[in-house]
Amino acid sequence: MNEYRSEQNQQAAMQANASATASGASAPLRSTRRGVIVRAVLAAATLAPLLLALAPREAQALPAFARQTGQNCVACHAGGQFPELTPYGRMFKMTGYTIGQRALPLSMMGVVSASRVSNTSKSDNPPADFQKQGAPIFATGSLFIAGKVTENIGLFSQITYDNYAGQGVAADGVGAGEFKGHTNADNIDLRYADRFIDANRDLIVGVSLNNNPSVSDPWNTAAAWMQYVPVPSPTSSAFVDGNAPYPGFGSGGNVAGVTAYAYLNKTFYAELGGYQTANRGFSILSAGINDAGTTKLKGTNPYWRLAYTREWGPNNIMVGASGMTADIYDDPTDTSDPNTIARTKNLGFDAQYQYLLDPHTVTAQLAYMTNDIHYSNAVANQPSAFASDAAGTMGLANSNSSDTTHTLRAKLTYTYQAKYGGSLGFFNLTGTTNTLNQTSGYDPTTGLITSDPTGALGATALSTRVGGNLSGNPATRGFTYEAFWTPVQYVRVGMQYTSYSKFNGASSNYDGLGRDAKDNNTLFFYVWGAY
Amino acid sequence: MKRISLTLVLTLAVIGAGCSSMERSRSLASPSTPAKTLAAQVCSNCHSIDGNSVSPNFPKLAEQQPDYIVAQLKGFRNHRRADPEGFEYMWGISRSLTDDQIKGLAAYFAAQKSVSPGPGDPKLVAEGKNIFDKGLPAKGVPPCSTCHGDHGQGNGEFPRVAYQHSDYVIKQLTVFQRTNERPDGVAMKAITHSLSDQNMAAVAAYLQQMPSK
Ligand code: HEC
Ligand code: HEC
Repeated sequence: MNEYRSEQNQQAAMQANASATASGASAPLRSTRRGVIVRAVLAAATLAPLLLALAPREAQALPAFARQTGQNCVACHAGGQFPELTPYGRMFKMTGYTIGQRALPLSMMGVVSASRVSNTSKSDNPPADFQKQGAPIFATGSLFIAGKVTENIGLFSQITYDNYAGQGVAADGVGAGEFKGHTNADNIDLRYADRFIDANRDLIVGVSLNNNPSVSDPWNTAAAWMQYVPVPSPTSSAFVDGNAPYPGFGSGGNVAGVTAYAYLNKTFYAELGGYQTANRGFSILSAGINDAGTTKLKGTNPYWRLAYTREWGPNNIMVGASGMTADIYDDPTDTSDPNTIARTKNLGFDAQYQYLLDPHTVTAQLAYMTNDIHYSNAVANQPSAFASDAAGTMGLANSNSSDTTHTLRAKLTYTYQAKYGGSLGFFNLTGTTNTLNQTSGYDPTTGLITSDPTGALGATALSTRVGGNLSGNPATRGFTYEAFWTPVQYVRVGMQYTSYSKFNGASSNYDGLGRDAKDNNTLFFYVWGAY
Repeated sequence: MKRISLTLVLTLAVIGAGCSSMERSRSLASPSTPAKTLAAQVCSNCHSIDGNSVSPNFPKLAEQQPDYIVAQLKGFRNHRRADPEGFEYMWGISRSLTDDQIKGLAAYFAAQKSVSPGPGDPKLVAEGKNIFDKGLPAKGVPPCSTCHGDHGQGNGEFPRVAYQHSDYVIKQLTVFQRTNERPDGVAMKAITHSLSDQNMAAVAAYLQQMPSK
């Protein structure tokens, strides 16, 4: 029974831990990779006492929902690892975020991170390709407005600031190549819910107005929720887990949807809804995203979700399926031409098992999704700019009229005392080969595969370095290993290592310029806090 | 479009305002929410609507002694009961409950029928029964039945322990033995003083399945 934990001991242990990290970090370390970690750990160690000073003994001063229910994060988040929900957390969400009492509906979240890609030498411009290599960055921050509104209405809304959203060009006020931050509506879920429960029957029904298919879903294997940690935009942290493939709906986020759902006898869950373009009356759902960046959908696009759940002892499982069909305009600024509409069809299967018995939490997750895309007439059947061989023969097939991809994600997580945890994740994206995907290839005039940064060789079809795709196949596969520590319930410090055995269709030389999948292996350190 | 979404928001608001009957409220801070409603809409999420919780993280409340439930809820509300799970889960739930609501909740759960969550570890049950019925005279441990009743049914502020989840029982015995986080359990502190981990596991296994009345 030495697993038994007392709150006082936790506080003492946290302090001891914080100082131990600080003294350990001051020891001289030589390798640069360790250097990054040391710097990040140092930053965390400086932060930790600060956070401890803020740490309330009571549960009251926590993020918005915890203030509303007066409960600790562990009540709703499995093993304290946000955002994964416990059965109670799911009931809290399904009943419309209305349990408890109205409280200050504001919370903040921030992620500080550092990442390091294993090989930066196979690039003709490493400072451009790996811009924030090894540098600790303030990655993203979010403001949440969340809470009970009336007896039946509650809100979860997240407005996110991505410090590395884009890069300036010479014409901007910002210097060319400098990063620009950007704020936009991230996740929004406004819902109305009611629950009819007595000894014989339990029926929860609700309606959600939301901006991202599956953001309304209570399980964390749903496309909108499976990712571990919010990561900064790809240009600053190229290959960390969040940028590796995840199941997702073709429509993407920042669309406007209304879904209706029912959960019967804690056993069957069904949700049905439709999504439209988030403009005009719905523009709040894509706030901060300019018109050209807002996904334009044709008409109302159906979304559905079914799940079966069961609880026994400390265990619970969910087995489910979901799907969506969406008609998407190729060019968000021009919705006049019916020949520029692509149709995507998604079908997903997911399952989750949780074992929750203090001090242990085990979660196994599986999510699989197929995406069928039928390209618009304007995009289908287009000739490739690349030649098929070094002789400059223009023999590549025209682009496909449709493609299919399959994305699989599996993850196993364990946390102890809601404080120490680790996870192992697997991802595998496979799909049809299409010359449209090719961003590298033989140049017809020079017969070279070149990214020709100087223009001196006179190539006309330039290949893309590092992010390029020579095969036209999207296959990407690998593992993510993670260890994390939750010193106080609303701060998580973690380290992830993502290793790739395939990237953009190949294990070696996937970009045609000599880069191998494993060159993208990435170490990612983060400090994630919410208040 | 604009009109559709406006209508939608307005409809939601009207439904929200109109239909929010106290009959199905999940509000923990309004004295007018009936205890039965709270039990069904809030407590049931963890303790089950009939008080026979599924997960051993959550104690069973079915057929629990009403005086004991009242004492515990007040203990959570005034932070006197401060074991980690109590503090993490129950302080917030109880913080704004009125004495009347607490009384109503106690009556509601006391009136439910308790069912066993399943057999305890067969290797331990016999030893557990022995401790419960006869105590451990050599260690100065009195029979549990003297206070908790021959059938573990409890009495007044002595809680019902029959059919309680064994994981929860072990956790509480550990709390009594190693901490002062449940000050109303001074009697239990003395009793658990010389119980070994094995003794605790045994008595817990027995309680989960004991023949009960
Ligand atoms: C989020 C889950 C959750 C909800 C909701 C919840 N409880 Fe609890 N409750 C717990 C946990 C966990 C414990 C065990 C606390 C401990 O170990 O100290 C507990 C303990 C109790 C106890 C003490 C039981 C004993 O045997 O000592 C009572 C009484 C109680 N709850 C009543 C209620 C009532 C009444 C409600 C509704 C108003 C409620 N609970 C809602 C999780 C919950
Ligand atoms: C002298 C009377 C007495 C004896 C003997 C006694 N108990 Fe208790 N027990 C209590 C009281 C009083 C409480 C309630 C403490 C509180 O309110 O915090 C309690 C609480 C408990 C609880 C916590 C129940 C809950 O729902 O949280 C368990 C478990 C328990 N006793 C088991 C035992 C076992 C096992 C034995 C025998 C080894 C035993 N008790 C012997 C008086 C007694």
